[in-house]
Amino acid sequence: MSGLPHPVPVETSHLTKAFPAGFLGRRRVAALNDLSLEVRPGEAFGYLGPNGSGKTTTLKILMGLVSPDSGAARILGKPIADPSWRHRVGYLPEHPYFYDYLSPAEYLDYVGRLFGLPASVRRERSQRLIGLVGLERSSHVPMRRFSKGMSQRVGLAQALMNEPELVILDEPMSGLDPIGRRLVRDIILDLKAQGRTILFSTHILPDAETLCDRVGLLRSGRLLKVGRLDEILTQDARVEVLLSGGDAAVFASPALGVRSSQQIGERRRLEVEEKSLMPVLQAATASGARILSVTHVRESLEDYFFRQMGESAPDSSWLPGD
Amino acid sequence: MVAGRLKRVAAVAANTFRETVRERVLYNLVFFAILMTLSGLLLGELSIRQDEKIIKNLGLASMDIFGTLIAVFIGVGLVSKEIERRSLYPLLAKPLSREEFLLGKFVGLGFTLLVNVGVMTVGLYLTLVATGRGIDWSLLKAIYAILLSLLLTVALALLFSTMTSSTLAAVFTVCTVVAGRFSDVVRNMRDVSQAVPEWLVRLVYLVVPNFLNFDIKDHVIYGDPIGGGLLARLTIYAASYAFVVLGLAMLRFRSRDLT
Repeated sequence: MSGLPHPVPVETSHLTKAFPAGFLGRRRVAALNDLSLEVRPGEAFGYLGPNGSGKTTTLKILMGLVSPDSGAARILGKPIADPSWRHRVGYLPEHPYFYDYLSPAEYLDYVGRLFGLPASVRRERSQRLIGLVGLERSSHVPMRRFSKGMSQRVGLAQALMNEPELVILDEPMSGLDPIGRRLVRDIILDLKAQGRTILFSTHILPDAETLCDRVGLLRSGRLLKVGRLDEILTQDARVEVLLSGGDAAVFASPALGVRSSQQIGERRRLEVEEKSLMPVLQAATASGARILSVTHVRESLEDYFFRQMGESAPDSSWLPGD
Repeated sequence: MVAGRLKRVAAVAANTFRETVRERVLYNLVFFAILMTLSGLLLGELSIRQDEKIIKNLGLASMDIFGTLIAVFIGVGLVSKEIERRSLYPLLAKPLSREEFLLGKFVGLGFTLLVNVGVMTVGLYLTLVATGRGIDWSLLKAIYAILLSLLLTVALALLFSTMTSSTLAAVFTVCTVVAGRFSDVVRNMRDVSQAVPEWLVRLVYLVVPNFLNFDIKDHVIYGDPIGGGLLARLTIYAASYAFVVLGLAMLRFRSRDLT
């Protein structure tokens, strides 16, 4: 790609959306509430949140599939109603389904025609993209025989058919096996290295941690936090202490600052606030415990997310590492 | 700009044609249509001096009936199934407007019906030739009128397909087509039952397209003169109705949230 894109790739301002619910749709359920968000040129932006938090609704509004009740959005500097940006954007919907009577090669050719690409370019790109997503051996097989993971790969290929500046992916790792997830991760990193902007929603926090420059955390249609991972995750540094022996009851006192205490075989693992480290070590030594190791642990995105979600037990729809 | 739009409509139409020719239901209906045409041979043997008319009547009726079934049952799924399966989402994120998509779907199924009616027309003429009857080119006038009514049926199926599920769309389309085919009964409904409000009768009669207008089979078979003026009027009637119905479908589809 020549040069970085200059306009703001994605910009939303006070987006609000509610859907009808209940008998005859008289009740309205809020899906998005005053969402203002900006995705910067060339970054990989992770859009995170549990099921029903409004991630897919946001992406559908950006793609013009759903209209907002109020607020505005711009893609590559253009209002979403302006179709000119559509030549420069790739989109993978959540749980994609493609015509099962077509093969990946036929489908990509169809997509290429919608972009007005000449036949030779369509042929070259579809072959290259089918190779990129690892479907060479199935390129002429009707997609009715495809697994969910294979459909997801076709979905990724179709999103790249126009060599987009901005790629919007809704749960791109969904339904993929570990090999598929690695492949998608590599593709996203490669797109980022080419200077393209990527906005993707995900449930899978370790993937977001690997790929994202910045993340936005969404809950119940509201944006809780936006920021760089290093900004977000160093705010709550912890220390892991491994012990053997000693009296476990010592660590039960809330005043000591032990966040968690687990017995693992002969050893005990303590998770301690950084500021409470010295008192904890002194208490451990006094109780006769032997200190095996003290390790600085950076908070994971998953830990951060659960803390932001109100320290509550994970939502049943939440699938860390899925 | 216009060339780009036409190319996109053509791409959707080509894909719709490919989709419909790979539908099993199409082949089942075509099989029964051919069977019905061939049954004219048998019935023709049983009738005295009416055999040619029976072959022609059954051939044209099978084109009409099975063409309508194809138009309804494939047509109602053209949009609603795409929404239910979400196959539409990646397409509408591309430089393809909802109006272009609908128009492409209409053209695609229209082309399928054209091919289908063409195949059945060849079958009917072959049957006539094989049984020693001459080729009656005036049958093409009735076939043209059938094709117009089928295109109008596709437009109605598409309209309902943008509004509701494929099952309900099928019910609404069938009701509209049946009401249109019995528009004389609808008009005289109050002669049978005074309980039906006059405004309702007038409304149904005016809104529902009069499919009886397209039924010129008997006139053609019995040799009544069918002028070019009648065919032109039928063309204008079908085109105007289809234009309005497709326009309504586009308006409805444009504002629909794809959730």
